[in-house]
Amino acid sequence: MEHWLIALCIMVGYLVVALVIGIWAGKGQDSSSLDEFAVAGGKLGLIVMWFLMGGAVFSAFSFLGAPGWAYEKGAPAYYIIIYTAFAILPWYIIGPKISKIGKKFNLYTLSSFLRIRYRSKGLGIIVGLLALLASIQYLATQLTGMAHIFNIMTEGRIPFWLGALLAYGIVVIYVATGGLRAAAWSDVFQGLLMIVISWVVGLAIVNQLHDSVGVMFTTIATETPEFLQIGKEGSAMGTIPFTTTILVSVIGFLMWPHLFTKSYATGPRVIKKTVLVYPIFSLFLVPLLLVGFAAKGIVDANLIESADQILPFLITTVMNLPGWVYGLVGAGALAAAMSSADAITHNATLEVTDGVVRMIFKDLSDRTVLTIMRVGVFVIGGLAYIITIFGGQGLIVLLLGAYGAIVQFAPGVYSALYWRRATAAGVISGLVVGAILNFYFQLVAESTPFGMHAGIIGLIANVIIMIVVSLLTKSAQNEEEEVYLRS
Amino acid sequence: MTRKMFNTIYSIIVTIPFLLLIFPMFELANRATPIVMGLPFSFFYIILVILLTFLAIIILHQFDPDRTSEEGGE
Repeated sequence: MEHWLIALCIMVGYLVVALVIGIWAGKGQDSSSLDEFAVAGGKLGLIVMWFLMGGAVFSAFSFLGAPGWAYEKGAPAYYIIIYTAFAILPWYIIGPKISKIGKKFNLYTLSSFLRIRYRSKGLGIIVGLLALLASIQYLATQLTGMAHIFNIMTEGRIPFWLGALLAYGIVVIYVATGGLRAAAWSDVFQGLLMIVISWVVGLAIVNQLHDSVGVMFTTIATETPEFLQIGKEGSAMGTIPFTTTILVSVIGFLMWPHLFTKSYATGPRVIKKTVLVYPIFSLFLVPLLLVGFAAKGIVDANLIESADQILPFLITTVMNLPGWVYGLVGAGALAAAMSSADAITHNATLEVTDGVVRMIFKDLSDRTVLTIMRVGVFVIGGLAYIITIFGGQGLIVLLLGAYGAIVQFAPGVYSALYWRRATAAGVISGLVVGAILNFYFQLVAESTPFGMHAGIIGLIANVIIMIVVSLLTKSAQNEEEEVYLRS
Repeated sequence: MTRKMFNTIYSIIVTIPFLLLIFPMFELANRATPIVMGLPFSFFYIILVILLTFLAIIILHQFDPDRTSEEGGE
C-alpha cells in the first residue's frame, strides 16, 4: 500500500474513534438539562479535568507552531514552555473563587460573571461579542492546521476544504450532542494520543538526524551559539519582546472564557489538583521543540512555505519515513487541533447565547436556551469553517484584533474578585481603550516602543484608565459585590 | 494557617521562579553552553526551574487550609 493511503486510513480510523468516544460520553446523561450541556452538571472529576485543561494547551500551534519557532528562531521558542508552565498557576487561587461564585449565581460564562458583578448588561454584551470573534479566530487557526495536516500527510490528495470539513465536522457533532462532557472525554483520548506521539516521533526524528540530542545541541552551540540565546547579536528575538510576550501569554491564558466555564464545571478541590500536575504538561512540549532544533541546518528554509510546516515536511520529504509514521503524526496533530477546537466551540456558543441572545430576548425557558445552544454549535462551527476556507483579509484582521483583546479582560476580572471600588464604567472604558491600543500596535503601527508586546501596552493603559474612571464614578455596592469579594 | 496567609505565601512562591525565567533575571542563564544532559544550558535551566516549581507547589498544597475542609467536594 502507498504511504499516503496508509496515512489516510490511520487518520480516518482516529477520527472514527474520536467520534465514538465523544458520542458515548454524552450517553446516559440527562439530554434535556441545560446544566449538563453547559457545565457537565458541575461534576467533572480530576483526570477528565486535567485533560480538558491539557487539551486547551496542546493545540495545532503546539504541534506545528512550536517546532516552527524552534526551527526559525531558536531559543525564543522556550517562551512556549515557560508560559504553559506558569499561566495556570494563578488558577489555584482564583479558580475556586470563580467556581463558588458560578455555583452561587448559576453561571455558565465569563460574560455573565462580569455582568452580574458590575450590574452592567453593556459589559456582558461587549465581552460576549469579543469572546465570539476571538474564538472564531482561534478556531480558524485550528481548522487551518487540520486541513494542512490532511493535505500534507496524504501528499495533496485530500483537498483543503475536505480535510477541515471531516475533522471539524466530527468535533461539531459530538459537542452539539454531548456538550462539555463529550468535549472533556474526547480530550482524554486525544491528550494521551498526542503526548505519546510527540515523544516517540520527536525523539526518533532527533536520533535519526543527529545521533542524539546532545550531539545536535553541541553542533548548534559551536556553530551558532546566538541561536540558543535571546537578545544577543544575531539572536532572533530581543529580551523585551521575549519577556513581554511571556507576560501577555501568562496573563491572557486564564482570561479565555472557556476557563470560566471549566471553573464552574468542577469543584475547588479538583481545580487545585489540576493546577498541581499542570507544570508537567508543559514539559510534554519539549520533544516538539527538539524536532524544530533538529531541522536547523538540515532543511533549507526556502523549501517550505512557512516554518509551521517543518514537522510534516521532515516526515514526508526529508526523512522518507514509512506511511504509518505519517498517519500517526497526522492523527496526533489532528488530536491537538480538535481537542482545542471542541472546548472553544462549546464555549463560544455559551458566551453568545448567555451574553447576547438572552439579553435581547428575555424570559427564554431553559429548554429553549438549550436548543439555541445546540443549534448555535452548528452555526458557530459553520461560520468558523466558512471563514477558514473563504475568509477575506479584512475579516481576518478584525478577528485578530478580538483575539488580542482577550488579555484585556484581566483588569476587570481581577477587580471583580479583589477590588471593591471598581465600577462598570471603569472596567468598560479600560477594556475599550486597551483593546483599541492593542489593535493599533498589533496590526496598524509598524513597531511598538522598545519592541514591547502590543498586549502589554494595551494592558498598562487599561489598568490606569480603569482605576481613574472607577474612582471618579460611584460603585454600585450591591450584595453580589460582597459575594464576589468574599468567596 | 489562614487562607489569606496561604494565598500570600503561594503567590510569592510561584512568582519567584517565574521571575527567574524572564528578563532581567533570565540573563543569568541566557547561554548556549555548557551542554547539560544533552540540552543547552538555558534550556536545561528552564526545565529545572519548572520541575522545582512543580515540587514546591506540591509540597505547599499539603499546607493548604482548604485541603481537608469539606467544602467544594469532587
